[in-house]
Amino acid sequence: MCNHSQSVLVVLTWLTPCLSIAAADDNNADGLAFFEKRIRPVLVSECYSCHSTEQNEIEGGLALDSRAGMRRGGDRGAAVVPGNVRQSLLVQAMRHADDDLQMPPDKKLPAEVIEDFEKWIAMGAPDPRDGAAVVEDAYRVDPEAARNHWAFQLPQQPAVPDVERADWPQSDVDRFVLAALESQTLRPVGDADPRTLLRRLTFDLIGLPPSGEQVEAFAGDRPTETLAEAIDRLLNSPHFGEKWARHWLDVARYAESTGKTVNFYYPQAWRYRDYVIAAFNADKPYDEFIREQLAGDLMHTDDPNLAAERLIATGFLALGPKTLNERSGLKYELDVVDEQIDVTSQAFLGITVACARCHDHKFDPIPQTDYYALAGIFRSTETHYGTVRYINAQRATRLIRLPAEAHLAAGTARLGEREREQIERQIDRVRQSIRAGGDGLQRFFAMGRIALLQARLDAYTDDGEPKRLAMGVTDKPQQAGFGRRFNVRPRRFGDYTFDGMRFIGDSPVFVRGEHDQPSSQLVPRGTLEILTAEPLQISDTSSGRLELANWIASRRNPLTARVMVNRIWLQLFGSGLVRTTDDFGLAGRPPTHPELLDHLALRFMNDGWSIKRLVRYLVTSRTYRLATTSRSDALEADPTNEYLWRMQPRRLDAECLRDAMLAVSATLETTPPVGSAVAGAGEGPVSSFSRRSALRAVNDPQNAHRSIYLPVIRDNLPEALGLFDAADPSLIATSREQTTVPSQGLFLLNNGFVMRAADALANELLAIQPSTDRINAAFVRCYSRPPTSRERSAAEVFLQAYDRQQAAENASAARRQREVWSAFCQALFASADFQYRK
Amino acid sequence: MLTRRSLLQLGGSGFGYLAFAALAHQQAAQARDPKRPLAPQASHFPAKAKRVIFLCMEGGPSHVDTLDYKPALAANDGEPAPGARGFRPARLMGSHFAFERRGASGLWISELFPELARHADKLCLLNGMHTDRPNHAQAYLQMHCGIFQFPRPSLGAWLLYGLGTDNENLPGFITINPPSRNGGAANYAASFLPAVYQGTRIQQRSGSETVSNLTNRRRSRDAQRVQLDFAQELNRASAAALGGSPEIEGLISSYELAFRMQGEMPSLLDLGNETAATRRLYGIEEQERGGNRFSGGFGSSGGTTSFGRQCLLARRLVEAGVRFVEVTSAGWDHHRNLDESLRTSCSAVDRPIAGLLTDLHQRDMLKDTLVLWGGEFGRSPYAQGDGRDHNAKGFSMWMAGGGVKAGVTHGKTDDFGYKAIEGRVHMHDWHATILHLLGLDHEQLTYRYAGREMRLTDVKGNVIKAIIA
Repeated sequence: MCNHSQSVLVVLTWLTPCLSIAAADDNNADGLAFFEKRIRPVLVSECYSCHSTEQNEIEGGLALDSRAGMRRGGDRGAAVVPGNVRQSLLVQAMRHADDDLQMPPDKKLPAEVIEDFEKWIAMGAPDPRDGAAVVEDAYRVDPEAARNHWAFQLPQQPAVPDVERADWPQSDVDRFVLAALESQTLRPVGDADPRTLLRRLTFDLIGLPPSGEQVEAFAGDRPTETLAEAIDRLLNSPHFGEKWARHWLDVARYAESTGKTVNFYYPQAWRYRDYVIAAFNADKPYDEFIREQLAGDLMHTDDPNLAAERLIATGFLALGPKTLNERSGLKYELDVVDEQIDVTSQAFLGITVACARCHDHKFDPIPQTDYYALAGIFRSTETHYGTVRYINAQRATRLIRLPAEAHLAAGTARLGEREREQIERQIDRVRQSIRAGGDGLQRFFAMGRIALLQARLDAYTDDGEPKRLAMGVTDKPQQAGFGRRFNVRPRRFGDYTFDGMRFIGDSPVFVRGEHDQPSSQLVPRGTLEILTAEPLQISDTSSGRLELANWIASRRNPLTARVMVNRIWLQLFGSGLVRTTDDFGLAGRPPTHPELLDHLALRFMNDGWSIKRLVRYLVTSRTYRLATTSRSDALEADPTNEYLWRMQPRRLDAECLRDAMLAVSATLETTPPVGSAVAGAGEGPVSSFSRRSALRAVNDPQNAHRSIYLPVIRDNLPEALGLFDAADPSLIATSREQTTVPSQGLFLLNNGFVMRAADALANELLAIQPSTDRINAAFVRCYSRPPTSRERSAAEVFLQAYDRQQAAENASAARRQREVWSAFCQALFASADFQYRK
Repeated sequence: MLTRRSLLQLGGSGFGYLAFAALAHQQAAQARDPKRPLAPQASHFPAKAKRVIFLCMEGGPSHVDTLDYKPALAANDGEPAPGARGFRPARLMGSHFAFERRGASGLWISELFPELARHADKLCLLNGMHTDRPNHAQAYLQMHCGIFQFPRPSLGAWLLYGLGTDNENLPGFITINPPSRNGGAANYAASFLPAVYQGTRIQQRSGSETVSNLTNRRRSRDAQRVQLDFAQELNRASAAALGGSPEIEGLISSYELAFRMQGEMPSLLDLGNETAATRRLYGIEEQERGGNRFSGGFGSSGGTTSFGRQCLLARRLVEAGVRFVEVTSAGWDHHRNLDESLRTSCSAVDRPIAGLLTDLHQRDMLKDTLVLWGGEFGRSPYAQGDGRDHNAKGFSMWMAGGGVKAGVTHGKTDDFGYKAIEGRVHMHDWHATILHLLGLDHEQLTYRYAGREMRLTDVKGNVIKAIIA
């Protein structure tokens, strides 16, 4: 999937400095090295798109992707004559000397490039490309150069720098930040005022605005709450998990349906959502959190509750988008595994390994064998995500049955006796219709109907109790000895993947990633060579997921802690210290504050991988407390605030915005719901009529639960979230875009949910006496501060103008008052100070 | 957003320069006024087409019954299909519809498209189309987004990102009645591109077309203006308090566009503003005579009103400056009862499409409007009962207008219409050509995501120069 021409250029940009260019002599090894470093990349990026045997029609009959093709040449003659630059048409074309032979067309390559080609031809055009075209031939990344990449080194304890303004810092974070600022002769702006700070903290930690009383207690004339107390209160709030789980769910591409082609529900996905919320609330150590999600099923415990929790955690690997109508079972298995490799490498390591499915990674030192070492681990793993065999969805699996002794919420109501009988009767009717005749197609549809109805029954025990099921993974069985292998597993319909690996084992490399092109050699299960001193020790009896999880969740892994620390920094400060939050590899950007990143990574690990402790450490820094005010000199020197001279203002996350409207209008339902509307819909296609209740719940304006509990159906994001840049749950999202588009404005001006919240807030305000306090109360609720005099007078002008407008439209006096205040509240929702976290 | 636009570190010279030149180009391509993400952008090179209407036939229309004349298929009707094996091999099925040469150009078009046939001299038939998979969802996604393996931006989103739009009072990419299956919203997604480039959906409901949150029953326009003035006053105060803020300036202008959209969009959506003659041209039947049953049903229910409304709306939208409009006719998956169901599908779109071409021509808009027609694949030359199965190896699409050669047939399939053998056009090539017709180089139109420069055409695609006028 890589863009080859770009990727080669990118590789070169980092390789160039560390190359010593071979002298142009006849030495074959040096000549070949010159070809690899100087010639091949240009051929790949500039020529192959028209001149390779991979193309449908080779331009001018000239194929440049093999030595033979190049020397034989095309319609005009030999492109390259070794040793003879003048007779080599390739160079003539590159020079654009001839009007009708100019290559590449529309673009002359830089003189240095052409000189390289001349030099290469002069040295005899050494060229290792034998035989047929090898377009996707690996471009070898120099492993030594890559090993020196900053992110592949273990974090080192940095010395805390000295700063000139010794009275400014309040923690080591501040010392690192200030030292960098001073090196650029930048000064930080002043501190945020207490009201702004409390609003910022409250949104950042629990995703909700502070109440008027909380603002008063923290920032009033006689404060009763200190900063440390406020931080502890927020960290201990059950809403902390609801806010921070959402960030993880973006990364984990959490959703309650398969998405892609036929989009089927995952009715048990919500258990994973609740697991993540609980993990953040309990401050589960991050290393434990990693192990549970990758290998919770393999972590032994006698506690059934803990066992259930860990099984649910492995839902992480099962939640991905799936193409249920893929025809080839092997291709399907490889696609599921690819998605698991992708999410594992991106979520925990901040690098993209999935590129290496088809070829060695173009930017990073990840050979294809690394990919298939990981693929062996996941191919030895059974993925359980449920769904039924249906008309165009043949890839059903069984869900995991959770331990009966565990205390687990049901998620749906019991199945009543009458309802069961009704479903059974329906099944009978369809069966009879099949027996009565009908052609193949009718039978086919009838079978699908039965499968859906049966799935509904299967979700309950015989006495109508919802089964406690979860998505997740387990190890495939171990290959039994000869003679027993045939009765190990019957290939049952609707169970397991068909043509993939059935036992624990290693995977071959698949040439060009094509499922019908396995190479003969198996790659031992393992992980990324560049990051390991010794190969993982994986026994024949396990997939290797636990070993992989331990390797990731380790102090010895240079990426894991840094990547997570960077994400937490991103949420609190608006950009990561590594701005390419999704790429810690060679094509990513280096950290703006490398020592600070290492300082935090080490502190995080030393603090028992505690996220809450890290958050507390960061929000108590003075850097976090900076105001958002701009200063022209700093803005000019550092427009993107890389040096953290101020707090970056930004719009509230989609979830915070929606939740804030509910909160300030006192309509927020703070008790979490049990389960999800999708759980109620049960297994089957999103598009089916009988399951429409879940789809309708997506945009139900009366749903007053926090946004994290809204159903997440792929390709059907709630409008209130989707319009405001919530992550597409089909993508692994480590950061969100921030757009400002008119459809957001239309939503805030016209949507029923927004107007309901405005009505509710208006009712709250109208209950306030004396009425002159109402404007003040509205601003305190929405902005966590009283209005400025400019805002107060604008409000007064508006209230009168709107009332006049209403009167002109002949509204009754009683109705007018409510409409005026509702319109007022809605305008506040639409205003920047409500939507922005400053 | 900034993270994805980041410049890579550059090192050394020589190839460093090459890399720099390429990256600097992308930087230029991605650098745009954040307050006006829809503002018109310069194309990479001059081009005739300024806008696109894509008439999308969801389900896979049969090419061998409509646009790809196969006398040898008829002559071998009932014979085992080449390569078919086993006890009951698939059997070839000749078309039951008569083909004729049409117009001065003599393009072969069957009796199923009598109205379209009158416009033969405007069409560029692509009879050598092929795509990767004979599965609806994959092929449908590939047609829209280039690849189906991962979520990717749609063609319309890429065009909007590349060119901006001529009417910033309207979204630049609009899709009318997109199907919820076969990838659903993924087919008009912005994916990793900024959300502003996402397709805005207009859904036909009970016979008319709507945009979400476009109207407010509670507040008059004047009342809302008073309300918005207040909100904007607060916004200006916020920006001032920060010492200036591009973000809040952007917010202020987006509200004004939203407000203006409320003004412009409903009247655009109101087809009553068109003359009766125009409405007839598109096959829109005068409704509400004796009740409104079926007046706005789906295409498959027969009648030209539904698709006619969509085509007319598409013309109104591009005329108003929208860059890319997609119109969907669903239900071309004719596995069974081909003779009747294909006839129904064709007749539902034939007059509306002919009306659209006539209308665009009369308004002198066809010269710079690129009209695209086609589905995700074609259908098999062999029978599947009384229908045809999917066929991805060879099928037909057409283009008209905006810089495309008129009255020509490009490419051909084998004698039976199974496989494209000449003038082959893969979906990647189709995309590359469409971008080219609008003045964009598909290799230069990139966006940085997940550490890579992404393209609509992935690593493939060749511009079909032979069809460019």
